[in-house]
Amino acid sequence: MDLKNVKGGDFTGVSLLKLTFKVEGADPGEFITYDQSRCNGCGACALVCSANLWAVKDKARLSPRYQELCLECAACYAVCEADAIAFRYPGGGAGIIIKHG
Amino acid sequence: MAKYDIAISGGGPGGAYAARTAAELGLKTVFFERGRKSGEKNASGCGLGQRWWRDFPFIMDEIVELDSYREIHFCYFKITDADDRLVTTISTAKTPKDDRRIRHKEHGYGMTGTSIYRSDLDPLLANLACNAGAELRTSTLITDVIKDKGRVRGLVTEKGEKIEADVVIGADGAHSLVAIASGIRKRWNKDQITLVPQLDFSCNEQRMDDVIGPAEMVWFGPYCGAYQVNFRDGFHLGLGQWLDKWDTHPLDMVKRILKIPAFQAMCRAVDAELREYQVHLLPWMPHPGKTFSDGVILVGDAGGFPCPLEGEGIWHACLTGQMAAETAAEAISAGDVSEKALSAYERKWKESPVGREYEYGQEYVNLWKNSAFDPEFMKKMVLFLGEVQSLNFPSPVFDWSDDHMKTFNDHLGHLLDLLPELSDFANQNIVPLGKGISTENRERIGAMISGSIKKKLPRIIPDRVIRSLVGRFLGLP
Repeated sequence: MDLKNVKGGDFTGVSLLKLTFKVEGADPGEFITYDQSRCNGCGACALVCSANLWAVKDKARLSPRYQELCLECAACYAVCEADAIAFRYPGGGAGIIIKHG
Repeated sequence: MAKYDIAISGGGPGGAYAARTAAELGLKTVFFERGRKSGEKNASGCGLGQRWWRDFPFIMDEIVELDSYREIHFCYFKITDADDRLVTTISTAKTPKDDRRIRHKEHGYGMTGTSIYRSDLDPLLANLACNAGAELRTSTLITDVIKDKGRVRGLVTEKGEKIEADVVIGADGAHSLVAIASGIRKRWNKDQITLVPQLDFSCNEQRMDDVIGPAEMVWFGPYCGAYQVNFRDGFHLGLGQWLDKWDTHPLDMVKRILKIPAFQAMCRAVDAELREYQVHLLPWMPHPGKTFSDGVILVGDAGGFPCPLEGEGIWHACLTGQMAAETAAEAISAGDVSEKALSAYERKWKESPVGREYEYGQEYVNLWKNSAFDPEFMKKMVLFLGEVQSLNFPSPVFDWSDDHMKTFNDHLGHLLDLLPELSDFANQNIVPLGKGISTENRERIGAMISGSIKKKLPRIIPDRVIRSLVGRFLGLP
């Protein structure tokens, strides 16, 4: 039996990042603060960010859409050895909803 | 300015249980949750260990009624090789002795764990606190602590509202603002915290009962280990790695598991559909750091309490929440909430079952760093388990593609080649753990394993070779 011909079970092509939920219409505020002058360009933030919010070329750059895309794990803050990233969570009642955590 | 006896940042298990305990002790208590309700922001495995039946039986009676509850008796380890083929399945066993260990209402729960979604569990725990008289304020982010002459005197909300309290409890998770703002510690080092990406799947309940049953699963491949926690009609697939060890994108690690044919077959069998992607930080360290200061106490993940052996943390959060509230109540009634007075909290948790979790904390963390979290080791381990399986009479799974006798000798040869290497690993990582086991018990375990190997390899390896190899593993003279 060729398992590849059986339907189901193969999740190739599913965009995992679309499987997240946000509170509609609530303002999360500026919850990530990035100081580019401190950045040493190591790229650790881009490596650990599940939501691909950091691009690094000489220095890191934070996606302008981070407020709607961030999964709120704070890994970028935790790995930044240059102390260029501050993270404080979105405002109360805003941001990500974890339905089945 | 509002004034409370106790103000708690965090509406998860640690915060809720601290709030419940404080309210029951007659203290004016408030706890803050940044989500619109408790559990809205939380992701974890999420399996509750057997000790819940011993320590929180009245909560378990309610948990078993929750929508996502699945009873768990054992765990399957699905071993896959570098080509993603299923090599073998190892399962934990159930013993009558374990069932006698924890009893509740005439039933044995020594082997019975629980899977429950946080969206079910956390509101239940928050309700316990509210019913005891604590005030819950949802949709409220705490952004600072009030500090006066070095002492923490309350919390500040994002809107600038000041909440004054005699004692503040930080139950605000891995990325704890209370811990950092009060100066108890800086953020965790990268080797103290793991990043855990996790997928949630919906499933057909009946098929899960038929195919998986009361079991958790572990996918144990040559590159990493991933857990599968099974709920009533869904499951979590997740994995973790310390932040100083990540060398690939978190999503790519998860996708490697999704490609395993045996995993896909399991998904088909239970009608699994991808439902949600989540990611969170989990402190995983040998022992908690400093957990108190003037006017402030840390509980649960904020204090670094998850178990260094398997990362369970909700039990620890509830118990440390309880001990924190009790310590705070004693300090408030004595009129002294200084760091010195609150140090009673550390004494309490160190002497409690929570404190015993860290007795071999460094050894456990080393064991994981050098085994399941180390891809090089996992490659050898998968090979080893495959070889052992191939010799597992009376169900030999042989590669018969060459001369049979030659093949058999090859398998045996591989196994013997691997043993010294694994024996070095055992000397480094397993033997230190054995310090907690008496020599007498180690000898008994050694005799048991030797006997079992002897039965499976009759007359192939001499007795004394088996005994000496097993003895080396167990650190026996």
